Amino acid sequence: MKNNKLYYVLIPLIILLSWTIISSLKLISPLFISSPSDVFFETINLFTIGKILVDIYHTLYRAFFGFILACLIGIPIGLIMGYYDKIYSSLEFVVEFFRSIPSTALFPLFLLFFGIGDESKIALTAWTASLVLIIHSMYGVHLGKKLRIKAAKTMNIRGAKLFQKIIFPEALPQIFGGMRVALSLSLVIVVVTEMFIGTNFGLGFRIINAQLVYKIPEMYSIIILTGIIGFLLNKSLLLIEKRIIHWTN
Amino acid sequence: MTIIEVNNISKEFLQSNKKNKINKVLNNISFKIEDGEFVTIFGPNGCGKTTLLNIIAGIENPTFGEILINKQNPEFSKKGFVFQNYNESMLPWRTALGNIELALEIQNINNKKRKEIAQHFLNKVDLLKYKDNYFYELSGGMKQLVAICRAFAYNPEILLMDEPFSSLDYSTTRKMELELLKVWRETKKTTLFVSHDIDEAILLADKIIILSKRPAIIKEIIKIDLPRPRKLEMLSSKKFFEIRKKILRLFENEKQ
Repeated sequence: MKNNKLYYVLIPLIILLSWTIISSLKLISPLFISSPSDVFFETINLFTIGKILVDIYHTLYRAFFGFILACLIGIPIGLIMGYYDKIYSSLEFVVEFFRSIPSTALFPLFLLFFGIGDESKIALTAWTASLVLIIHSMYGVHLGKKLRIKAAKTMNIRGAKLFQKIIFPEALPQIFGGMRVALSLSLVIVVVTEMFIGTNFGLGFRIINAQLVYKIPEMYSIIILTGIIGFLLNKSLLLIEKRIIHWTN
Repeated sequence: MTIIEVNNISKEFLQSNKKNKINKVLNNISFKIEDGEFVTIFGPNGCGKTTLLNIIAGIENPTFGEILINKQNPEFSKKGFVFQNYNESMLPWRTALGNIELALEIQNINNKKRKEIAQHFLNKVDLLKYKDNYFYELSGGMKQLVAICRAFAYNPEILLMDEPFSSLDYSTTRKMELELLKVWRETKKTTLFVSHDIDEAILLADKIIILSKRPAIIKEIIKIDLPRPRKLEMLSSKKFFEIRKKILRLFENEKQ
């Protein structure tokens, strides 16, 4: 166990060390890469000023809003597609096609429909995340045991009750896998869209702004901060998943 | 009173690889089962026992013939089913008690009453102390007992069991059979139990329906007049051996 923890921090330490060496020996110009200490103090500075908290709030708000919308839309569609073969056949192509379009390529279209405010960012996030959730929920049903459904049907469990009591819990492990992918993607989409237009708040806006005015330590600091937020979101969802999905393994 | 009537059932499958080749599984099967009887269907592996059970359950349709349960199409009757594979027919995300409650939730029975019924059956098979254990935490034998409790709690007109103990070891199987009989004795549900284990088929039954190899016909229906409640000692009684010998003789002359 002790050994495992060592391995866990070994590679990050090597990366940090190489970063320090590269920046202190000026192997790469400080215009491109700041020193770890500069980035560290810049981060402290950002938090003492406090404005970064507002940006974190806006980014998280948009990501969560889109993600939750995606759950409400994507999971039911995926479950129904997974269970009814005819619906699957008629929607499979559409879903696969939309999934193949890089969702950021659709952002101009979403701007057109939803305007430059929060709505277009949230809508694009919801769009991207629901496609992921549809696929995962659908596979959740496909991978489920057919006998459980057959057994429930012998007890006259049908329709909505069948979904609620058998199909949904059966697909839940896959759905959670999809939720983790979708949540990470939500953060990606929000940060990217914040770099474009229509907001003065958000981590994406701050990153592109710092780069434009050559505040390089600040840029690195917020990039890393965004990474930490994404990491923590994923870990928290994994923790919730482990509490709920207790029956696999 | 006759509760299950099986009239001239035949089942044929079209063989998919050979054109027009018909594969006959069941050949003109007829029998009657009286209310409250425990009947076992015994026959060699692959003879069509499960197909017959599925047809009675209404899961599959016969090619010829008809089934009547309480004089009606099986579609309209309430059937309890215990599958061979308990891991894939029960709900691992629920507790032992929760699994039994599933059978009651769709019948407009309130929460308190549901728990009472489920606990009653768990108690009957001495599993009450495991009621809050998740299904996957139970041993194989316990899991199948929970499945049996679920079928009884559903309060069906007839109970159908498809080799429920076939994946358990010898001594667990014998123990489970006695537990099953304990619950059955109390409710006196008409039960149709498929088995390929001759001791099991005799120990449980009021009568045994003996099927031949495929295409299955009824070789014989034997009444078992061992006294109830059945006990494990009976497995080595003279009477038991006589019945066993009689059944084995039926298969002696069969061509391989």
